[in-house]
Amino acid sequence: MKKIENIINRIRINKGDNEISEFQKNMSLRDDIGFDSLDLAELTVLIEDEYNIDIFESGIVSTLEEIHERLLIDGGNN
Amino acid sequence: MNNQKVILVTGVSKGLGLAICKNLLLSDWKVYGVSRSITAEIEKLKSSYKTSFVYIQYDLLEINDLKQDLFVKYFKNVSFDGFVNNAALAYDDIVTNLDLSALSKMYTVNVFAPFLLTKLVLRNFILNKKSGAVVHISSVSVHTGYKGLSMYASTKGALEAFSKNVAREWGPKNIRSNCIVAGFMETNMSSSLSLSQKTRIYNRTALKLPTSKDSVANSVKFLLSDSSSSITGQNIFVDSGTI
Ligand SMILES: NC(=O)c1ccc[n+]([C@@H]2O[C@H](COP(=O)([O-])OP(=O)(O)OC[C@H]3O[C@@H](n4cnc5c(N)ncnc54)[C@H](OP(=O)(O)O)[C@@H]3O)[C@@H](O)[C@H]2O)c1
Repeated sequence: MKKIENIINRIRINKGDNEISEFQKNMSLRDDIGFDSLDLAELTVLIEDEYNIDIFESGIVSTLEEIHERLLIDGGNN
Repeated sequence: MNNQKVILVTGVSKGLGLAICKNLLLSDWKVYGVSRSITAEIEKLKSSYKTSFVYIQYDLLEINDLKQDLFVKYFKNVSFDGFVNNAALAYDDIVTNLDLSALSKMYTVNVFAPFLLTKLVLRNFILNKKSGAVVHISSVSVHTGYKGLSMYASTKGALEAFSKNVAREWGPKNIRSNCIVAGFMETNMSSSLSLSQKTRIYNRTALKLPTSKDSVANSVKFLLSDSSSSITGQNIFVDSGTI
């Protein structure tokens, strides 16, 4: 899931935040990673471009682990 | 051609949409045009602008397939700079005759499809890091009542409210959204009006004239261009000065 972490860091860098070096799977996208709804929209779009899956289509995703689940459940395999 | 823009325009087969399309192509912009019917004019544009005009035949009533059949199939590698929501139909009748199936068809084409297209275009802007522009074609009927147009006008009112709020929501990403509030133009849509009805409508304008499609098309282009970079969330009236 390095790809997802890279995408998250790209978004953070773009808005002037530091890169996160240690990701934990229970990290909250909003509280720990600091994403607001527009950042989350960007995240969805970049993930969809990579995996062809819209992670928000079937409900809110709030942690890193839930992204992983969504991608696996929906047929993604890294 | 540094500032060549790539624009999605709906309803390009005739009327205002065709005028917008021609206007943008003449400026060397690239246009992806959508409508149900391929008119002689469309054929002409296709052969004159082989690379800069891409035509896709699509019925916006097929709202559930918009993503798959337009964005995945045709626009996967396209990076848009703008979207003109022009396609619409006018179901006009007095409200006591309201027919729900005609009304919901109109809402699908005039409101739901444009909302969904805006969603998809915005996602395309975000993916490509574009500060894109959205322009909706509204109508003076939102602001001045006309007999028989309450239901049609309400679809345009929905677009104006949507546009203002999208502008607020996406302003931080430098994405703009505006409406052109068009007056009565001589197109297919207004062709069922009698001469006396038309004269009455035109007399309710300062210029006493129909609204020129070219004037509307130029205003659309302005709102898509970098010249309007500080304009967002606005309704620009191009209507011969409705009074
Ligand atoms: N005419 C006026 O007086 C007036 C005044 C104010 C605002 N407006 C607005 O200006 C815009 C353009 O109207 P117009 O006067 O140029 O009307 P028009 O001549 O009837 O053209 C409408 C366009 O929309 C397309 N369209 C309609 N239903 C569609 C569907 N289901 N799927 C795909 N395309 C569809 C039509 O193409 P196909 O038939 O080939 O699908 C056509 O290209 C509209 O938003 C209208 O509400 C018009």
